Amino acid sequence: MNITAKLTMAIAALAATSAAAFAGPEVVEGPGPEPECFAPWDESTKYLQWPAREGPYRIAVVNGFVGNTWRIQMIQTAKAFAQDPSVADKISEFKVVSTGTDAPAQLGAIEDFINQGFDAIVTIAVSPDGFDRVIRLADREDVVLVPFDNVLDTDKVMQVNEDQLEMGRTWARFVLKELEAQGKTSGKILEVRGLPGNSVDRDRSVGIHEVLDASGGDWEVVQVVGNWDDGTAQKVTADAIAVHERFDAIITQGGSTGVVQAMIDAGHPFVPVAGESENGFRKLIAEHADEGLKSISIGQSPGLVAIAMKAAISALEGNPMPQLISVPLPVATYDELEDGVNYWSDLPDNFFTVNEFPPCGVNISGPAIMAQTEEDVK
Amino acid sequence: MRLAKRLHSAALRNRAFLGALLLFAVFYLVYHMLHPRGFSSAVLIQNTNESVAIVFVAMAQTLPVLTGGLDLSVGAVMTLTNCIASELLTGTPAEMLFGALLTLACGAAFGCVNGLIVVYGRIQPIITTLATGAVAIGLALLIRPRPGGEVDDDLSWAMTNTVFDFAETYGLAEGGEAAWLQPFAAIPVPLLIVLAVVLFIWLPFRNTQMGRTVYAVGSAEGAAYMSGLPVERAKIAAFTLAGLFAACAGLYLAIQTSSGNADVTQAGAYTLNSIAAVVLGGTSLYGGVGGAIGSLVGALILRVISFYFRILAIDPLLQPLIEGVVLLGAVSLGALRTLRVKNRLELFR
Repeated sequence: MNITAKLTMAIAALAATSAAAFAGPEVVEGPGPEPECFAPWDESTKYLQWPAREGPYRIAVVNGFVGNTWRIQMIQTAKAFAQDPSVADKISEFKVVSTGTDAPAQLGAIEDFINQGFDAIVTIAVSPDGFDRVIRLADREDVVLVPFDNVLDTDKVMQVNEDQLEMGRTWARFVLKELEAQGKTSGKILEVRGLPGNSVDRDRSVGIHEVLDASGGDWEVVQVVGNWDDGTAQKVTADAIAVHERFDAIITQGGSTGVVQAMIDAGHPFVPVAGESENGFRKLIAEHADEGLKSISIGQSPGLVAIAMKAAISALEGNPMPQLISVPLPVATYDELEDGVNYWSDLPDNFFTVNEFPPCGVNISGPAIMAQTEEDVK
Repeated sequence: MRLAKRLHSAALRNRAFLGALLLFAVFYLVYHMLHPRGFSSAVLIQNTNESVAIVFVAMAQTLPVLTGGLDLSVGAVMTLTNCIASELLTGTPAEMLFGALLTLACGAAFGCVNGLIVVYGRIQPIITTLATGAVAIGLALLIRPRPGGEVDDDLSWAMTNTVFDFAETYGLAEGGEAAWLQPFAAIPVPLLIVLAVVLFIWLPFRNTQMGRTVYAVGSAEGAAYMSGLPVERAKIAAFTLAGLFAACAGLYLAIQTSSGNADVTQAGAYTLNSIAAVVLGGTSLYGGVGGAIGSLVGALILRVISFYFRILAIDPLLQPLIEGVVLLGAVSLGALRTLRVKNRLELFR
């Protein structure tokens, strides 16, 4: 009797410890709520489910690098979204910190918020690897960790991003369509790439080449590296034009304003350009579309942070969520541009125009919050 | 009476260090009081984990500064050794131990090369290390063009937690339940690692003739040379030890993140922060005064300031500004004594 009692206790204790070790989300069958907003990445994407808990929740955003327009716009969007009537009463406490490009500091901040008992932590990872420890701790404490934009190489956490491969494919498809309208099935295309060694740069370029190769046309692609930066992109585009004299189209991953500026400065005739979502780029498209700058603009939106927050809240409410959420690409072509709607002629060039995702109820326009003062969005 | 006098003079000599220690103690105590789970082991583990890398890099920076130089490669050496360790810390325990030692040896060797170039090439340390730092980043990118690595999971978990978790992971001391272990069970392993490096490497080194020569070179190189001290060897030793400490940071970073990442921006940030930590800890940038323990405290002050942003509601875009102002205030405290100086010549000391 005594022995069996002891044995049962030991087994119970063992079960308790193993349950503690394996706490965290359960892998379940989809579909989840709001599929138009929380779309699974592909058919193989699994669904994660956390135990439902009572709101309101405590949510933290742990940013890494801070100091460019995109990141500042992202932080402002996060603050504004936390005040949005659709989620405001579900959030009891909201904190944002930026740790700089410092992996121990970012990991430390995440762990600190776990220790403080926050319910969800949204983050842009400074490195795609190295988060094993905080993931383990988050699972142990049932904290929902949501990396977005720069995501992790793991399938153990829920992540939010735009499909970079599809972005590359859409750019290439648009350019091919415009060239076909001109009667061209072969020619020379300039590809301005992003930051070398980065997975986003790799995926976008792979998407571009996939479509070009599949088209069957005889395309000569000239690659230059523009680092997603207007200054660099402008310089390398000018160099490429000086060497090759004439391109039939340009596909750039970023620094799009600089690319078009280089084209204008070199007296290069306007050709279709596929690029990012900078306000300056869209201003130039609107101005010169009639002269041949028939272009497409797709953006990696700072508004992703709002979707990551929304996904975190949905997970805390106990909904099954796709492990990898694919946010629809915000696309605008030259014939869709409208001043004051999807670009702003009275605002600086370096704004990122896409900030809203109507299917997700994220209706915070980037330029609107950037134009406000600190006090207004508090 | 004599003891009191000696204590008083020791306190006067270490005024800057004691000031830094007091500042840190105040900052850290208030942080724990404000933290919802203050004074708990979990918070202490998190704090130490976050601080280890910057503490080691600050200790590394101290030695070249003591000789009157500056080492701009410490962050890069940390990144290089981080990448090396991410390749080597797998396999059997013996292989991992060998990998760790090899990582430390690489760092020390890199530092030694710095020292040799400075001494025999007769090039300013700041220029030498600017160049070798770029070389270190280049090597790091060569070893690990993409972040990643297969550092042993158990090792990572055991080294970044308490002594109890360490024992439990490896089944030592009856899985951490042994009675004799209990007094130490809640101590974070990273804290012990830093203590071990201070006790078994820094303090013995400082008390050797070589260690004292490092200080002598910093205060008056000519006098040290005329006194027959091994000036050249001391400089090489200082840079070698800097490389070793930077490698400790890289090794711990690899264990902590179970990966390596040739992050150029992070390397630069750590180098700059190490200089700030050295100054905060009371080491003079002119050399000859201070020590690695002061820099350790300086690094902790740097870290504790940012801890506050997580428990107080401060606007995210104002945080860098506030951090800068607090830092400036902390450094200025060290300059307060200049207000009381009677003879202006004393300012030049």
